[in-house]
Amino acid sequence: MILVENSYHCFARLNKHSTVICPVYVQNRRGSSVNNEETLGKKPLSVLEKIRENLERLNEKMEVMIELQKHGKQDIQPVSDAPLDVMTLLSMPDHLRKTAMTICRSGRATAEEIAQQTNRARAVESAYLNQLVIMGYLKKERKGRKAYFYADRESQGWK
Amino acid sequence: MGKIIAVHSYKGGTGKTLLSLNLAATFAKQGKKVCLFDLDFRAPSLLTILKIDKADCWLNDYLNGTCDIHKVLIDLSKRLDGDHNFFVGLANPSTEAIRDMSAKDRKWEMHALGRLLSLRNALLNDDGFDYLVFDTSPGLQYSSINAIVAADFVVVATTGDRSDVDGTRRMLSELYNLFEKKTGLVLNKVLDSASKSNKDELQSKVKTVYKVSMLGFVPCFCDILRAEGNFIFAQDKPDHPFTKILREMTRKIENNEVN
Repeated sequence: MILVENSYHCFARLNKHSTVICPVYVQNRRGSSVNNEETLGKKPLSVLEKIRENLERLNEKMEVMIELQKHGKQDIQPVSDAPLDVMTLLSMPDHLRKTAMTICRSGRATAEEIAQQTNRARAVESAYLNQLVIMGYLKKERKGRKAYFYADRESQGWK
Repeated sequence: MGKIIAVHSYKGGTGKTLLSLNLAATFAKQGKKVCLFDLDFRAPSLLTILKIDKADCWLNDYLNGTCDIHKVLIDLSKRLDGDHNFFVGLANPSTEAIRDMSAKDRKWEMHALGRLLSLRNALLNDDGFDYLVFDTSPGLQYSSINAIVAADFVVVATTGDRSDVDGTRRMLSELYNLFEKKTGLVLNKVLDSASKSNKDELQSKVKTVYKVSMLGFVPCFCDILRAEGNFIFAQDKPDHPFTKILREMTRKIENNEVN
């Protein structure tokens, strides 16, 4: 229980800008119950699912941070809706170009699907894809537990 | 699964259109289902060579998203005595269309790339085409780079001209390599290449200079100049040495004998 509580705290702290907050809080540190309709006892599975989902998002953000540090960058300024055209592809670092070109070919894909085509690890592709989202070249959409990446609405229907 | 071939060069006048048309026709003569696209939107020329006056839909319209690719394709199989296996997609030659294409923004170019990429599904997978051949504009510009990115294999046409050699070398390392494209070099308008010793010498020289595979070299044939664009060599001159060279090139492409 403590693990769950700590993880949740950790997520909430690092995601202070995120609007996705799990509505359930089970116990405070002193061990007294919190008066909430959705307690862990009532919906344990959905609570754990939400926590897992949030941890996955946290993981994605950490992967991006690790990649940024690896390539000697502290931060990337977000750009909104930057076109992923061939000149942009040409000017990209090699590791991102490979991912971006695979998305161009696929139209819309998950990190897992991209990893299968590039023969790199899913976690690596996830980091690169999220980096491209931060740079404004890709958009990300969640469907259940899966995160889909695409260049823009129109390009999704090309394949 | 078919292949998309882009024919490109650093400079103009290297023989891209001649090569594109004749490579496509050679494949078609070998029974393959082929479509040739004129992606040289700045200077469309295939329609003149193929003596076509007008089209219902142009490639420009397809890239603009205003018409389906099947409305663009023109069946020219009869020109090669074939049966529904040789098609062309043409660029609009009007000055207005050329001006319009040169003023597109980056977002449009991104969508154009997506539409070129989707030809793989629409034509290679669904319609059973064996080869799509893209005739491109020379140099580094959007329409050519889009074509290169969408292609599986790039035929690079070059001549012995020093500025062409330098530019081609740069493109090989700074364009095709970055996109991890397979390339095959065609050295065109070669002088004194008839003897075997010269061929070998030329081959090793090209390998040293460009560090890529040779797809073939084409001697400076006066017959090509004399034809003034009126012949499709693969069809009209089956015994010409140029036609034989084309057959050898298509064999290498088909068997992946280039890297």
